[in-house]
Amino acid sequence: MAESAPQVTLTIEGAPVTVPKGTTILEAAKQAGVLIPHYCYHPGLPVAGVCRMCLVQIEGLPKLQIACATPVAEGQVVNVFQPEAVEARKGVLEFLLINHPLDCPICDQAGECELQDYVFREGRAQTRYTPAFAKRFNPVEDFGPDVLYVPNRCILCTRCVRFMEHAADDAVLNVSERGDRALIGVHPDRQLDHPWAGNVVDLCPVGSLISRDFLHKARAWELDKTASICTGCSQGCNIGIETRQNTVVRLRPRPNDAVNRYFMCDHGRLAYRWMNRGDRIEAPLVRQDGALVAADWDEAVRQAAELLAGAGGDVVVLASPRASTEALFLARAVAGAGFRGAFRVERVAEEHPLPGVHDLALRGERAPNVKGALALGYAERFADQVSELRKGSVALVLDEALDGVAPEALAAVPHLVYVGTVLPDVARGAAVVLPVTTVAEEDGTFVNRDGRVQRYFQARSGPGMARPAWWALGELRAALGRGEPLASCAEAFALLTDEVAGFAGLTYEGLGMHGAVLGAHAPAGASA
Amino acid sequence: MGYPHRPHPKETVVLSQYFGDADARTYAGWVKRGGYAALQRALGMKPGEVVDLVKASGLRGRGGAGFPTGMKWSFMPREKTKPHYLCCNADESEPGTFKDREIMRWTPHALLEGCAIAMHAIQAEVGYIYIRGEFTEPIRIMQAALDEAHREGVLGANALGSGRPLDIWIHRGAGAYICGEETALMNSIEGRRGNPRIRPPFPAQAGVFGLPTTVNNVETLTSVPAIVTQGAEWYQKLSLSNPKSAGTKLFSVCGHVARPGNYEVTMGFPLKDLVYDLAGLRPGRTLKACQPGGSSVPILNREESEACLLDYEGCVAQGTMLGSGGLIVFDDTADMVYQIMRLARFYAHESCAQCTQCREGTGWTVRILERILSGKGAMSDLDLLLDVGEQMTGKTICVLSDSCAVPVVSGIRKFRGEFEAYITGARKPVLAVA
Amino acid sequence: MQATGGYQPVFTGDRRARLDEIRARYPTKRAALLPALWIVQEAHGWISDAAMAEVAETLDLTAAYVKGVVTFYTMYHQHPVGRHFIQVCGTTPCNLCGAEGVIHAFLTHTGCRELGATSPDGRFTVVEVECLGACGFATPVLIDDDFIESVTPEGVPGLLQRYP
Repeated sequence: MAESAPQVTLTIEGAPVTVPKGTTILEAAKQAGVLIPHYCYHPGLPVAGVCRMCLVQIEGLPKLQIACATPVAEGQVVNVFQPEAVEARKGVLEFLLINHPLDCPICDQAGECELQDYVFREGRAQTRYTPAFAKRFNPVEDFGPDVLYVPNRCILCTRCVRFMEHAADDAVLNVSERGDRALIGVHPDRQLDHPWAGNVVDLCPVGSLISRDFLHKARAWELDKTASICTGCSQGCNIGIETRQNTVVRLRPRPNDAVNRYFMCDHGRLAYRWMNRGDRIEAPLVRQDGALVAADWDEAVRQAAELLAGAGGDVVVLASPRASTEALFLARAVAGAGFRGAFRVERVAEEHPLPGVHDLALRGERAPNVKGALALGYAERFADQVSELRKGSVALVLDEALDGVAPEALAAVPHLVYVGTVLPDVARGAAVVLPVTTVAEEDGTFVNRDGRVQRYFQARSGPGMARPAWWALGELRAALGRGEPLASCAEAFALLTDEVAGFAGLTYEGLGMHGAVLGAHAPAGASA
Repeated sequence: MGYPHRPHPKETVVLSQYFGDADARTYAGWVKRGGYAALQRALGMKPGEVVDLVKASGLRGRGGAGFPTGMKWSFMPREKTKPHYLCCNADESEPGTFKDREIMRWTPHALLEGCAIAMHAIQAEVGYIYIRGEFTEPIRIMQAALDEAHREGVLGANALGSGRPLDIWIHRGAGAYICGEETALMNSIEGRRGNPRIRPPFPAQAGVFGLPTTVNNVETLTSVPAIVTQGAEWYQKLSLSNPKSAGTKLFSVCGHVARPGNYEVTMGFPLKDLVYDLAGLRPGRTLKACQPGGSSVPILNREESEACLLDYEGCVAQGTMLGSGGLIVFDDTADMVYQIMRLARFYAHESCAQCTQCREGTGWTVRILERILSGKGAMSDLDLLLDVGEQMTGKTICVLSDSCAVPVVSGIRKFRGEFEAYITGARKPVLAVA
Repeated sequence: MQATGGYQPVFTGDRRARLDEIRARYPTKRAALLPALWIVQEAHGWISDAAMAEVAETLDLTAAYVKGVVTFYTMYHQHPVGRHFIQVCGTTPCNLCGAEGVIHAFLTHTGCRELGATSPDGRFTVVEVECLGACGFATPVLIDDDFIESVTPEGVPGLLQRYP
């Protein structure tokens, strides 16, 4: 908001709050540290004002008002916990519970359910409805492909309907019928197959819209949640990785107004299973008597450094744009003066935008750090680079699965150092293999398509002796006498900002939780 | 007068003068009876002048809310920068009310004339008459009148030769009481579910299609031509008691009466006379209760009914409201508990489902009342009904929720004995509920 | 729109022309939805999922949106009904005047076993509806498009004979 926008000062629960004119009381209350209970309101959707949960008392007005739709006024005095308002919200909760089944023991939403939360806070402890009356019953519906609808639990907040209509511009959900017969409905000709439809499960305050993928997999309170960045494409949606006993069970979006607001696409959301792969390289490997054998890190680093030192600067780096910015930077540092770096990225013709959000789409460029690779001098010429391997002395492969690369092509280079998570057959002729962690198992940064450098954090522990690539390459760099070993990702990033002009001025702490955009000095490169 | 009866001497016949007179339906018949002179005069006035005239007359909305009509028109932007719209609310669905139907089927041109004058006043070129889908006969008759009006040049590109375009279209509803709420009506015209809107914005700023709109009831609009020809003072004088309530009103008297029908009386007319004298009770019966303004207003017992003067303030003084003027009469044979339950079923059926209190509360209210009527109720159910009613009042987007609670709460307060009789078993159950 | 076997599009020829004329009355296509649905019901007797899809395509709306509107308004039939559709008012003012007896008489003399069901010979469907706005002419009944006032239980058999 512009500094010059007119400000309004009001009192909420006795505390003075100053916000821009036009702010709703509900949003202003957040600033005062007051959460006004609500369901249908969501900052990413148009206001509906239907759930009636956010009723507050405004001094001077005879009737309670809904905070989500009432703009602040100068001198307004708002009482959220005034008796009449509390009674009214208690009333709403009671009305919601008369038909809502006591499904908590079998409902996925338990533990992260806004109905549970507010009932505990402000609702009645006893029902006045059962056993005199039976609750409404409707069977579960499959809205497909990933979304199930449990009508009995639905509180008709209409967040899902408004999301599909306004954010996705694909009104495939409706409210059907009237009165207490009303339910969310679809037309048989269309499933809920929009590329961004999975967000309705996040938006549903209760366990009515649920994910088939997540069905009965874990309890919300068992989950550890860590901030990360989606690797599905170059949009760089902010996500949370949720794990249970070190297994990734769910990805969900994390709010970032500058990138993805509150949403992520289904392609990214459902592509987490690879993070739990068991066939990982668990120890450093060196060649002995013609075969790869496990070694410790010191030995593997020593041997790799020896190869790199003997290359005379003739090192080719084949990197993946899924590698972290720090790893890509250090791979370049390790390659030395004659660095030639190449990457490839899957490019899909069609983008899938979320029209209701500015500049947000599942991008055709299906990797998270293309811009980072380009900014660090890597070129998108993987196939050509592979065909030129015979000219080099050492190939350093960073996190690339090498699908489709012919063994003969790799055999053309005298020495191969493979830095990766899974060892492909075609790389079994490598001289040294260094096991590294995935995005879920380390800290790091990616640069999204808009040049935003964003941090991700370690969500689970990596297998065996796998270490972050920035650490492994930092060790290599130190073994080559080009600097001290690096003790943290922050140190790696600091080094990066010192040595790469395009990253000047950024600090690891300054990236915060929402990232920072690269300066204008980043070399221009082809991007989707 | 209230077709099919003869006018009663105590009536003041203005709007209902031609009820029962088939000739008045035609353009020629209407002109013969002085029709469209008012429109001619109004078109010669400035829009603002017409607004001021209606303001001065004291005409108030006849659909139920009683909002001063001239003031409502004055909310429209004075300077026209985008299209303005008039919506005529012919959704008449308030139980007990059947006056707009009669206006449309006997004097369709009177309504068209009122609409056209209003459109001139609010600078609208397009008007929609939203007629409920069940009113097949009024729709046919209104459409025929519209066709005539176009043929005769009263409406169309050059209304009555004024150079101004005035187009009126009929928009047929499809079975939803809630579409009588003005913002739900606008949503229905837009091709949406008939959900009332949160306000602000108000219709005069952003109404149908997001453009400045005024919504008026059929009876309100039909009252306008006579004000134009006979003046504001004349209309003001048509009041027996109270200057804030002027003019005549059609009261749709129904239920336990001998001569149900629409009776046109001046504001302030005694309810007692309307019920005992004009409509009359059935032989041998006594008055138990009534709702003077449709099913959404508090029920009056006999004493209150006999003391009530029929204008906006008079009804409020007795703890009820004039509402739509749909006067439902309950005599001593009426089972108040059963009828209140039947009303609750009405509201539960018609709830649009947006607001939690209404969606769930109407159904819950029905179920508790059915339980009482089936002999399974408890005294605590009465407190529960009052509590549920309290939570349904003053907390929702529109007042359908309040309207369900009103007869329940006033019914329990004034006829508690009848409820208790079912609960104690003094009265045998009349429903079988699982 | 999927072409389901046997579905006859509604908006061709005259009906298409009618719809186009109606659309011109409003600044948006969406506003022609209720009138379009009436045209469908006049043509087919009810509004099927396929018909909703056709209307949606014609007015640039989604089929789900159209369905949400159809299910809101009780006069649109979502399944086939009897040759003659009978709507009897049962709300309080008519209830006070014996509407329940009239409803019962209709159920009895049409052969419909219950409200909402179609008679075995396919001739009638009887439903109870809310206030029809003719409370002074209790009990009012809509049979197809005919609005009939002051119906009594005794008059029902004779009335039904007019609807073969």
